[in-house]
Amino acid sequence: MIEANTPLLRLLRTYWPLVMLSLGLLIIVAIVDSSGDVILAQTLIEGLVRIVIVAALYLFIGNSGIISFGHIGFVMIGAYATAWQTCCPYTREMFMPGLPVYLLNNSHHFVLAIFLGGLLAAVVALISGYAIMRLSGIAASIGTFALMMVFYSIYLRWSTWTSGASSVIGLPTTTTPWVGYAYAVVAIVGAFLYSRSKWGLALRSSRDDEVAAKAAGVNVFGQRLLAFVVSAFFCGMAGGLFGHFLGMLTVDSFGLGMTFITLSMLVLGGMQSLTGAVVGVVVLSFLIDILRRLENGMVSGLNLPTSSAEVFVGIVIILILMFRQSGITGNQEVYWPFKGDVSASSAMKRQS
Amino acid sequence: MSDTVNSNRQTLEARQVSVRFEGLTAVDTVEETLHQGEILGLIGPNGAGKTTLVNAMTGFQAPSSGDVLLSGKVISKLTPHGIRRRGIARTFQAGRLFREMPVSENVEVAAVSLGYSRRKAHAHAMELLNWLGLDDRADVPAGILPYTDERRVGIARALAMRPQFVLLDEPAAGMSDLECDDIMQVVREIPERFGCGVLLIEHNMRVIMGVCARIHVLDSGKTIARGTPTEVQNDPVVINAYLGHS
Repeated sequence: MIEANTPLLRLLRTYWPLVMLSLGLLIIVAIVDSSGDVILAQTLIEGLVRIVIVAALYLFIGNSGIISFGHIGFVMIGAYATAWQTCCPYTREMFMPGLPVYLLNNSHHFVLAIFLGGLLAAVVALISGYAIMRLSGIAASIGTFALMMVFYSIYLRWSTWTSGASSVIGLPTTTTPWVGYAYAVVAIVGAFLYSRSKWGLALRSSRDDEVAAKAAGVNVFGQRLLAFVVSAFFCGMAGGLFGHFLGMLTVDSFGLGMTFITLSMLVLGGMQSLTGAVVGVVVLSFLIDILRRLENGMVSGLNLPTSSAEVFVGIVIILILMFRQSGITGNQEVYWPFKGDVSASSAMKRQS
Repeated sequence: MSDTVNSNRQTLEARQVSVRFEGLTAVDTVEETLHQGEILGLIGPNGAGKTTLVNAMTGFQAPSSGDVLLSGKVISKLTPHGIRRRGIARTFQAGRLFREMPVSENVEVAAVSLGYSRRKAHAHAMELLNWLGLDDRADVPAGILPYTDERRVGIARALAMRPQFVLLDEPAAGMSDLECDDIMQVVREIPERFGCGVLLIEHNMRVIMGVCARIHVLDSGKTIARGTPTEVQNDPVVINAYLGHS
């Protein structure tokens, strides 16, 4: 056993959850990538995009304690903003004729487009959050839900920019497993650093007791707004990745279904832990993949009806809420496995 | 924390402060000036308006009329966090710790919100916890502390970044005599150590008489007496207010 008392080891211990999560995902990506299983590779990329979304949800929900039903709206905003810059250069005028001349005639590099998509989502979050983040508790949650429906309805009817109820097709499928992995790690690092920062600490205090947080000098509204904007930025980037994974976009895919599945992942893993966010995505993606295969009759004699996966996920979430609200991880991060651990969790064990 | 206070002339003033809820005047034209370096007791029967007055002085409740002034400047329009940043801190009757966070972070929150980096805030928090004899509890989640320690952490959180004034809402409620002695020692040390003015709400007369140089008595929102502990104790109006309510 190693005592964590050299500077290097102390640094390693501080960032241990980051190291473990990145390595764990690296192994999964490497295995799936070399297996050659096409369906599994699709599940993997989708899972990596969802890690970006769920890490962003953790950043806001885990630290503020406010459940947001609105973040998929930011995913959609990012997805379309990215499509405006990268989609089908020769037919863009056909799908989205209302775009400004600059966007009709110019394409941006994938990385820049994704970044700008995230930035647009962040700006929209800043404006809408300026109103909604004044609310607390269930009112704030319902406010985010209303916000999602506002975005959804606008994009559904804004056909000259979004193709409306039909699809935008012809996006380059740039989101490979390794691109997805890179962005998943970026989101994990971002969420981790935010949570460790003074802003993350201040926001968590308002989660535990809003009145006491104000008495301690915390600008609760400001801290919530900051987290809302940062998480919307990551959600917007995830939207860009999603479009370039499917190669097409429909407004319909950014509704309640995606909201439900990503929130379920966070709840399953443990809402107040980044490790929980990642574990929730991995476990649920894996289970859904198996169920989809069964739905498609992969095992003869066991043909599950379509939508079995949704039913299954719904039941799992109800069970989690009934029996283990802190999720699979118990709201803890990955433990430092060596001696010299003086973290809160081990101190709690000593106390009890 | 050892450097001395630069000025002793700061004041926290309630000027004709009234707080009215529908049909009820919780605080009725109360006047008081708290000076840096002193300990002022605020007593009165249950429902006298003591906590409401503290709420009004810390931005949690806007006065219906009257003003709260910090060294002559009106602060009653500011937000609670804005008032905390100007150096007026408070504790709560129920403790209201951040229960899921470690004890050290409970104190760090105040320090980072007032401008410290996390590293500096941690060192500052440990210094305060050390003073209160809680340094060995620093990594324990605040929610599992016994209530005596809970109150101390609340006091440490309020004293982070050396506020000019600290308003303590019943820090000794429900404590045994022995535990009260500890809290009294802590309260007595606050002006010496931090140079701030202390307003102490307390039901325990032993605590009030033991640490306060000056006492303000409220009953049904109105000031009924002000003076030294001996003066107040022998005031027939005060005696009547307490007997009449109990």
